[in-house]
Amino acid sequence: MEEKKIKLLVVDDEVQFLDSISKRLELRGFEVTKATNGTEAIDLARKKKFDLALVDLKMPGLDGKQVLEILKSEHKYIEVIILTGHGSLDSAVECTKLGAFDYLPKPYELEDLIIKLKEAYKARLEKKFRDDKEKMDKIFQIALGNSPLAILEELKKLDNEEK
Amino acid sequence: MSETTKTNIPNFEIDEEKYRTLYRRQIFRLLLTYVLPLFLLILFFQIEYNKIHKESTILHLKSTAETQAQTLDLFLRERVVNLLNLIDDPKFDEHILKNNINVFLDKLKKDSEAFIDLGYFDSSGIQNLYAGPFPNLRNINYSNEQWFKTLISNPQRYVITDIYMGFRNLPHFTIAVKKSYNGRISILRATLDPTKIYNFLLSATIFRDVLITLVNKEGKFQLTNPRLGNVLERSPFLPPQEPKVGFSEIVINRKTFEFGYCWLTQTEWCVIASSEKQNFFFGSSFQQTTIIISFLTILFLFIVILVRAKKIVEFEKEKELAEMEKKLARLQLEHASKLAAVGELAAGIAHEINNPLAIIASEAGLIKDLINPEFKQNISLSDLTPHLDNIQQSAFRARDITRKLMTFVRRDDLKLDSYDVNQIINELLEGFVEHELFVSNIILEKRLQPNLPKVWIDANSFRQVILNLLNNAKDAINGPGKITISTYQDGDHVKISVKDTGCGISQEQMDKIFLPFYTTKPVGKGTGLGLSVSYNIIKSFGGTIQVESIVGKGSNFTIVLPIQK
Repeated sequence: MEEKKIKLLVVDDEVQFLDSISKRLELRGFEVTKATNGTEAIDLARKKKFDLALVDLKMPGLDGKQVLEILKSEHKYIEVIILTGHGSLDSAVECTKLGAFDYLPKPYELEDLIIKLKEAYKARLEKKFRDDKEKMDKIFQIALGNSPLAILEELKKLDNEEK
Repeated sequence: MSETTKTNIPNFEIDEEKYRTLYRRQIFRLLLTYVLPLFLLILFFQIEYNKIHKESTILHLKSTAETQAQTLDLFLRERVVNLLNLIDDPKFDEHILKNNINVFLDKLKKDSEAFIDLGYFDSSGIQNLYAGPFPNLRNINYSNEQWFKTLISNPQRYVITDIYMGFRNLPHFTIAVKKSYNGRISILRATLDPTKIYNFLLSATIFRDVLITLVNKEGKFQLTNPRLGNVLERSPFLPPQEPKVGFSEIVINRKTFEFGYCWLTQTEWCVIASSEKQNFFFGSSFQQTTIIISFLTILFLFIVILVRAKKIVEFEKEKELAEMEKKLARLQLEHASKLAAVGELAAGIAHEINNPLAIIASEAGLIKDLINPEFKQNISLSDLTPHLDNIQQSAFRARDITRKLMTFVRRDDLKLDSYDVNQIINELLEGFVEHELFVSNIILEKRLQPNLPKVWIDANSFRQVILNLLNNAKDAINGPGKITISTYQDGDHVKISVKDTGCGISQEQMDKIFLPFYTTKPVGKGTGLGLSVSYNIIKSFGGTIQVESIVGKGSNFTIVLPIQK
């Protein structure tokens, strides 16, 4: 059965960690893109659509929190999981308030990460499905009582909303 | 890097033995101060008192003996004169011829009660006539008696015998007088009762504690107090022949007697006035009172001294305990601040350790995946080497961090030595501070002057101070910023400055920053000990910490240390 691959962006300044975790996730069927800092990650996300992002909290330059805020603002359906090596979880909890799906303290069991990634993906799908259904309902409503020209106008407006 | 691994926990036990010694010493000292002078005074008083007492005793005994001797001399002379008066009476021969000797005895008894009897002798030595209570003594031949021989041969007209038992077997003594008339010798002999004389002597003595005895030249008791011995027994008192009047001491039955003596002129008898020698301390009731009062005073003083010594020792003990508590509290405070300084970085350090751990876990997992047939990777063993290298590197990275962390937590003694501050700062920064600041988006600029003179410091404490200043700088910046750490020589001093681009310190805060427990950090983040302890540490190196700050621009803390001469 050919399953659609989950597109994942991994951001960490520790290259050794970035490489090994990416390889492991690829082996488990994820489509992984690596970024070693926040700016690179944001650029990559603008070029390619990602389902999920795995972001380290403490990084030189843009830190995890800033990357999270930018990604969430630019991409409606992306789910972000924060990784942190920090002893205190205060900042990680703060990130969930800012829209992160979840956080995971380093080091972690790969199984736990995969479970979280899958949960995040599911949440993303559900959200997308809900939104799509709403859109279909709207289109249906529009289709019911409008001229073909007006329908086209309305659909164009909907398309612009989704980014 | 010089590290002391010896952990020396100071001794906080009270040395009980030391205080027992102190207690004994205090008692001794107080006794010496208060009781000894009193004791010496009492002793001096006793010695002086006894000296005066002895002088007066000698004088008293001698004068008593002399007086009694004179009295006795006078008495004996009177008795001799009584007899001479009889024998020289013109009617004497007339009465003798009539055998009328009783008349003479009656006459004598009127003169003195001491006369017992009277006898008349001619030159043959036979008692021709006798009047008195022992009539059987008549006609007894006395020619071989010593007194008789002496009287006949000597020119002196009278003789006084020693006391003896004689034919009648009772102690008595004799006075005999002679008369030569036309070549015919007549002798009158009277015996006298010594007890009468003794009573006579006693009646003349004033002091009850003085015993009067009479000894002859052979040292036999002539008259005596029964306490000292019996008549004719050998007397323990043996007064010398010369001088005629004197004083001496003697021990009888373990009692010391002092005696004054005086030889008679009429006969070779000696009057002895003796008294028992007084005890040195308890001789008189006056002395006894003095001694009792002194003893009570000393006892009272002794009790006061015991109480006082105990109080002094307790005071000293409390003082030491308080000192210990203070020292302990200071040590605990220092240790706490050390831990706090470390604690403030602990989160960052955890991050530094967790990162290599994450790499290790991740690389190990990857190796498992690579050799897992399920993933069909078909790799050779040598392909694993880079991953294993990563694991090893990460393990060492973590080890270096923990090792450096330990140098802060250790509670070592202050061990001053000569150090190059640049070396210590470099090691500290390389450890974890540099990376910690890097990931916090703080630029760290080092301006360390090369070939800096050495300073005399304790490396661990100094590291703690630098770490504390860096922590404060980082907290003041709270976001992107810059910390400049510089070292330079300024005259006789080495200066180490930690400058930040943080929020700065207001004038109001500036007055309090070196006070313990003053903190501007949120509750639970800072202890308020860092700067106060840092200041004390630098002070203990003979240095100081200077602060300059502009609110909103940043602060500059400068450690000033004297260059080691």
